[in-house]
Parts: sequence; structure tokens; C-alpha cells
Amino acid sequence: MTLTIQFLSEIRKFLKNRNGNDLRAWLLVEPPLPDQYHKLADELKKGYRSSASLTKLVDSCLPEDDNVSDDEGTAWPGFVSFMKDYFEYWRDVDFDDLLGAHQLLTGLTNSCTTALNNPTYGTIMLHTSISLCASLSKLSMTLNKRPDLTRNLQTVDAGEEEQKSIVETTAEIIQKVFTACLTDRSSQRHEQPKGKKTGVYIFANARKTHLAKQLFTNITAKAPPLSFYPAAQRVTFLYYLGRFHFINNHFSRAAQCLQEAYLETAQRFESHRWLVLTYLIPCNLLLGRIPSPQLLQRPEAQSLAPIYMPFAEAMRTGNFLRLQAALDANEKWLFSRGIFLTLLYRLRPLVWRAFTRRTFLLTYIAPTEADSRKAATLELSHLLTTATFVQKRLEGYLPAHPGRKPRQPHINSMFLKAHAGAAARGPKILRPNEGLIWGNMPVTEDHIENIVASLIAQGLLHGFIAHSQGRFAIIGAKQKGAVAAGWPPPAEILATGLKEGEDVPGWVKRV
Amino acid sequence: MASTSTPKPDEKSSTPADSKPEQSQNTKTAGALEEDDEFEDFPVEDWPAEETEAANQQGNTASGGTAADHLWEESWDDDDTSDDFSAQLREELKKVDAAKRR
Repeated sequence: MTLTIQFLSEIRKFLKNRNGNDLRAWLLVEPPLPDQYHKLADELKKGYRSSASLTKLVDSCLPEDDNVSDDEGTAWPGFVSFMKDYFEYWRDVDFDDLLGAHQLLTGLTNSCTTALNNPTYGTIMLHTSISLCASLSKLSMTLNKRPDLTRNLQTVDAGEEEQKSIVETTAEIIQKVFTACLTDRSSQRHEQPKGKKTGVYIFANARKTHLAKQLFTNITAKAPPLSFYPAAQRVTFLYYLGRFHFINNHFSRAAQCLQEAYLETAQRFESHRWLVLTYLIPCNLLLGRIPSPQLLQRPEAQSLAPIYMPFAEAMRTGNFLRLQAALDANEKWLFSRGIFLTLLYRLRPLVWRAFTRRTFLLTYIAPTEADSRKAATLELSHLLTTATFVQKRLEGYLPAHPGRKPRQPHINSMFLKAHAGAAARGPKILRPNEGLIWGNMPVTEDHIENIVASLIAQGLLHGFIAHSQGRFAIIGAKQKGAVAAGWPPPAEILATGLKEGEDVPGWVKRV
Repeated sequence: MASTSTPKPDEKSSTPADSKPEQSQNTKTAGALEEDDEFEDFPVEDWPAEETEAANQQGNTASGGTAADHLWEESWDDDDTSDDFSAQLREELKKVDAAKRR
């Protein structure tokens, strides 16, 4: 008996026993592979060059049985044609030709979806569909980063009217499988899910935002509550949903998802907890929440503390030099995770908040009894002075009197010369985001008033601008004290949704 | 005696920072195309709630908090103005003020 026939007879047994798990384990499509698959491929290359001979073989090995009992299964036409495509895939695939492999895998996954849609026996294909979609999505993402290869594809397809990217085509296929799961009628929405519905949340692993959006919308509208699903699926889903909201700058929603993912992951899964924290910490920073010493002591937080705590320091002290240093120190690492730009732009208001607070602390003179009716104010001209100074520091100038510490006697003389040279060359040319306003643009009165007005509008400062006097006036200073009244804790404003457990699109908590 | 035991499969994921270079090398092959931020499959499908912090959440709610409350600080403003940065700002404010009076 040939290997191909042996293979088909095992597959037939899995169908009979409705064993979807083993079926998936046998229907491999990507390396690493046991040797048999290479032998199978060789056999197919030698003996089954024509589609007709393959069809004949599969038809004869996978007959549609009559009189199938309720707990058994059998082949159906959609499955037979899937098996034929599967063998064609192995006959023709060449993993050194990624584009060709992708086209073959796309065809195979489509064929798998058709088989999955069979109302009677289709469910057995669920595991296989999930694993094919995962392989296809991985391959598509790889190709997406290889324009040198996809350029060829565009030339080949130039005749088609509508040009779709590899990722778009893949997304559509996965969407089809997802819809098949979501619309399975074997269980109601509020019941423990059965059949294909058990696969709904597995498709959350959707990497591209435009696909993810539609997927989460459909989940919100139709899916059973997440709590019906096993822990691994819940946590994975909440991680990706959190990432989705993070990308879309909904930090409060993102933090809710990621926090639940973190709390629901058993402590022994340290690397998973580490990955969730990688996003949960910046999310909380942006909501005005800093990791506590207890959190920082945990093993999964060890490598993250040196990356994120400098940002927390910049937020606490209003020190833009520290913010810039924190961004520079791990730019590549943060960028590759899609966190860099978010921190770069979104943390700025919080650093400005602390900077205005610091300037107030340094300049405010509390009223004496005689003039106690005077409002507590921050002079915007003082803020312009401090901001201009910080801009100069960012441009590479050193302070005239660097602190009160005397110069260390052992400072390297070459270092000092280098700085003298830098001063002679003029200011360091800053990228737009490295300057306080925009690159080397000098800070003006208007900028300062704009920034303060924007902080007030965001609720980060409590008071108003007395424009004619050039001051920020604090409201409620008498009751609370000027600093507490003017600069409420940011989390009070930014994290309300998180604390109240607001509804999060994509997360079905109950139906 | 030199150790001859082979590492357990789950040991490799215990230090995420160490496993990174290994992953990036593999990205060139069609077989392993994982991304740095890809959520690895869990080795088990389910685990009991008692193994998680979320389980303690209910108990704590009675006392007005949640399992996550001790993980984050919301009141962290720094009032200390004796640091270098503040000293530099103070110096600059003095200098500019003096220049204005002149």
C-alpha cells in the first residue's frame, strides 16, 4: 500500500470517529515536519502529476458512507475536494518560493472553509481551519515585509481590475472562517458554546487593524460571553483586544483588557505575564498610574522596570530631558512593539503638567495675611523662562552653574573639549519630536499659553487663564491648597473609565 | 560533575529577555515566523481560577478594593525641589528676573 493510500485510510478513521484534533495533527502544512511528509510529497510528485488521477484516488479512498450513526461521521464532497487540494499542495509546494507557497496555501485554506461550512459534518474541520489560518497569516505577514517578492505578484496580477494586498486577501479568508464559527446554530448565544462556536475567540489573533475592527464588531454583536471560554483563550483574546485599543489610543479600554489578561494568567506563565505587562505598564502610565513597588518586585517585571521607570520619573518631575533620555535609551525596542510613538506623543501632556507644577513650586509665594484674598496664580512668563531653558538644554547647552556640586576633579579633559567644540558649532539640530515645541523652534509666549490652555481643557490643570495678566489662575486653592487644587492627580481624570469598568467594545461580559 | 541533563522545554520561555535573539534568528525560515509581540500558545487550555490573582478580586471587593489596586500608584507627584533639575530652573529664573530689573 502506498503512503498516500495509508494516509487517506487514517484520515477516514478520524472522520468516522469525529476526531478533529488528530485530523489537524495529521494535516500539517508547514515545517517542522516528520520525514513522512517529505516522502509523501515525493510519492505525489512521481505518481500523481494529473489532477484527474488524484481525484480518482481520493474519491475511492474516502467514500461517502450511508447509514452513519449519530456519534459517527463520514466524508462529504467538500472534504473530498479539500483532500485533493491538500495533496496538490504537498505535490507542488516549495518552501524556498514563499510567494508560490502562499498562493497554494491560500487555495487550500479556501477549500478548507468550504468543507467547514457543511452543516452536518463541518465542525470536525474546526481545528484544521484554525491551524491553516494561523499558518496562512504567519506566511502573509512574512511576505508583507518582503516587497521584493510581492512586487512580482503585482506584475503577475496586473491584468486584474481590483488589486488586493496579500494581507487583505488573507484577512478575507480568515473572516470567512470566523463567520462560519460565529453563525453556527448548534448553540444559543447565552449558552455554553458548542460546535464551531467554540472557535469564535481563537480568531481574535488578528494582527491587522482593519480586519480586527470588523471582527471585534461582530463579536460584540453576536458572540457568546467571553467567560464561557477556557482561560487560555480568554487571556489571549484580551491581550489582542487590549493591543487593538492601545493602537487606537483608547488607553482606558486597553488597560481594562490587559489588566484582566494579567490577573487571569496563572503565575507560572511568567513569559506571558511579562508580555502583557509590556503593554499594561505604558497603558497605565498614560492614564496617570505608575507601577507600584510590589509590582516592580515581581519576576516578570524585572526587565521592564529599567525601561519604563525613567518615563515615570519624567512624569513625576516634569523633566523633559529625562523623557528624551528614556525614549532614546530604548527607541528600537519600543518601536518594534508599537509603543515608541505612543509614548513619544501621548506622554507629553503629563510631562508638561508636571513641568508647570514644578515651575509653580519654584515661583509661587504664598500670600501673607494682608493680601490673603489674592488668587493663587502661575505667571506664564515664568513658565516661558523655564521652558526656554529646557529647550536650550535639549539643544545641547550645558547649564552655566550646573547644580551646586563642585566639578569632579577627575573629569576627563577630552570630554570637556568635546563640549567646547559642540558649543562652538551651535545648537544640536533636533528632530521635530525632540524639541519642546517643534525641533529647534524657539518657545514663545503664545506656545506657552496654548499649552496651558490645552492642559486645562484636558482637565489636567484646574483653573483658567487670565489672559490680560498673563497668568494661570487656580480655582479652589483656598479649600485644598494651591498645588493640590491646581494639579489634581491625573488618574482621577484619565482613569475613570477603567475604574468604573466601562463597556469595552469587543469584550462581551454578559448578554 | 558537569550537568548532562537537557533543559525542560518550558525552561526556554522562563526568561523572555534571553529568548529574544533566538527568535529573531528563526524569523528567516518559513517554519518559525513568530514576532516579538506574538502571544505564544499556552501549554494548557485551561487552569483553575485559584491559580490567578483575579480569584482574590471577589474577596477584596468587600473591603473596597480590587486585586489590581496594589499594583498601581495614583498619587505620585514629586514636591521635592532640591534636585539638580529644580536647582537649574531656579537659577535660570533668578537670572532672567535679575536681567529684567536691570
